[in-house]
Amino acid sequence: MDVGVLVKAALDVNVLRSDPTGRVAVENIPLVISEYDRNAIYEAVKIRDNTGGGKVYVYSVLTWGPMERKLKDFENVIREALALGGDEAYVVADRSINYSEPRYTARVLEYLIRSKGNPKLVLTGEASTDMTSATLSPYLAARLGYNIVSFAKKIEVGNGYLTVLRDADDRLERVRVSLPAIVSVTGEINSPRLPTLIQIRRAFRKPLEKYSLADIGLKPFLSRYEGYQVVTIKRKNIFIEEDSLEKAADKLIDYLVEEGVVKI
Amino acid sequence: MKVLTVSDTSKYIPDILGFISTLGEEVESIDLVTNVDVGKGFDKIYKVKYVSGELVLKLVRKFGDGYDLYIGPHTKKSLESLSYLAGGLDIPVISEVIGYSEGKLIRNILSGRGTVKYPYLKPMALTISPGRFSGARDVEGEVIEVDLEPEVKVVESLEKVRGGVDIEDAEIVIGVGRGFKEKDDLNMAFELANVLGGEVGCSRPIAADYGWLDEDRWIGISGKKIRGKLYIAIGISGAPQHIMAANDVKTIVAVNKDKNAPIFQYSDYGVVADLYQFIPVLIERLKSRIKV
Repeated sequence: MDVGVLVKAALDVNVLRSDPTGRVAVENIPLVISEYDRNAIYEAVKIRDNTGGGKVYVYSVLTWGPMERKLKDFENVIREALALGGDEAYVVADRSINYSEPRYTARVLEYLIRSKGNPKLVLTGEASTDMTSATLSPYLAARLGYNIVSFAKKIEVGNGYLTVLRDADDRLERVRVSLPAIVSVTGEINSPRLPTLIQIRRAFRKPLEKYSLADIGLKPFLSRYEGYQVVTIKRKNIFIEEDSLEKAADKLIDYLVEEGVVKI
Repeated sequence: MKVLTVSDTSKYIPDILGFISTLGEEVESIDLVTNVDVGKGFDKIYKVKYVSGELVLKLVRKFGDGYDLYIGPHTKKSLESLSYLAGGLDIPVISEVIGYSEGKLIRNILSGRGTVKYPYLKPMALTISPGRFSGARDVEGEVIEVDLEPEVKVVESLEKVRGGVDIEDAEIVIGVGRGFKEKDDLNMAFELANVLGGEVGCSRPIAADYGWLDEDRWIGISGKKIRGKLYIAIGISGAPQHIMAANDVKTIVAVNKDKNAPIFQYSDYGVVADLYQFIPVLIERLKSRIKV
């Protein structure tokens, strides 16, 4: 069966950059594939292969700007998604959705899904690694009129329905939903392998179609997110360096008593 | 202002009521959609079989979408339901709100290393981060049984394998990571927790990959978030997802043999040492210094 995958080119949380005012310097932070989206691609490929073939469609929207500086990273992320087993990619990059928000990103994805492949099953990671809002997939499901199951730890495909083991905080639930559906997957659902060199090379021959908002007939959006600020870490960063472990332990205990977190 | 709360648990009801009063607006009514018993605080309680987005959307459409605010705790199901509802109503949704100030909602981004603001608008949907707001409301509402069938059918509900611990509410947590070579070695951490009167938590690999500890001890964005007074991270390198989930702890101590481990940047006190040598000494020193 055909399976769609929503992939985000997310800000690399390991390369945080800020300017002297404490603003997150988004323009200088590289984009990488959002961690759990790899799991989603891996699962989509598995489902495609176990259901007698079909296509894995990769959908993505560039949500960080400025576009000129992010385009290369964005394309690398999409190529990575194709190298991991995606068959075709349909993406939107446009200056006027730099700094998007899920509500708008969902509109673009809705268009791409409906007009490019129209898969009845769409997978994505449980949350993006940069914004971690986890709101996009249910929001999009409502727009598409698809069922939604989020935080999936296991997916079994039946005839026109899915059985999903989902994380529901204090318990696990095995639920059954009919297709069409969007399922967000957790990091535990599988262990994606790194793409091989051959897969990476092949990815460059796979179709990747990029559109502007005008191409797909959507109006520019204006994100209402504002004030991206770095959290000042108020940690003390004191290294305890003593000439014996006993002294180091005592010094640590002294500090913890001083902080009022340990009583002796 | 008319509010609709969507919650699959009674645990965070004070958080929701507390957040609503933080907005400082006159509240006309607060209704609730839930599948559990929550007690006081709401005008109308719509009791459903299952908290799901499409069911809540159907309910809202049936009873008129005249709410100004749709709100719930940041649990997986409330989050899913409120986001779906927002999609159906075409309104903004902001999840895991940690604060409200001057008309702006605040949430964390970049694994807790940044924050971002979003205007408080009407109508909109929100989920509230636990442990930051608290309130109560002395209203005993009517309970309305809703007979709608959810699209999602629960075939089986399984209790998570759990050790009965609640690290989220623990004042002291000892965290264990990949620096521990074998499962049995975790006994050291349990002993330290015992001496300090704390609980043992862990990083992702220990719970998700090795299965050495139950998932309710996993500290991470996908696991539990801790907010006590002391966290001692032992043999944990400090993945962003782990650090974010421990950011609210008052004092963080890291023990790691790699001086360049990221965890040290997020710690108040760091000890660069082999945990196998240092932890037994620390336990011994604590035992001799703590008055019984």
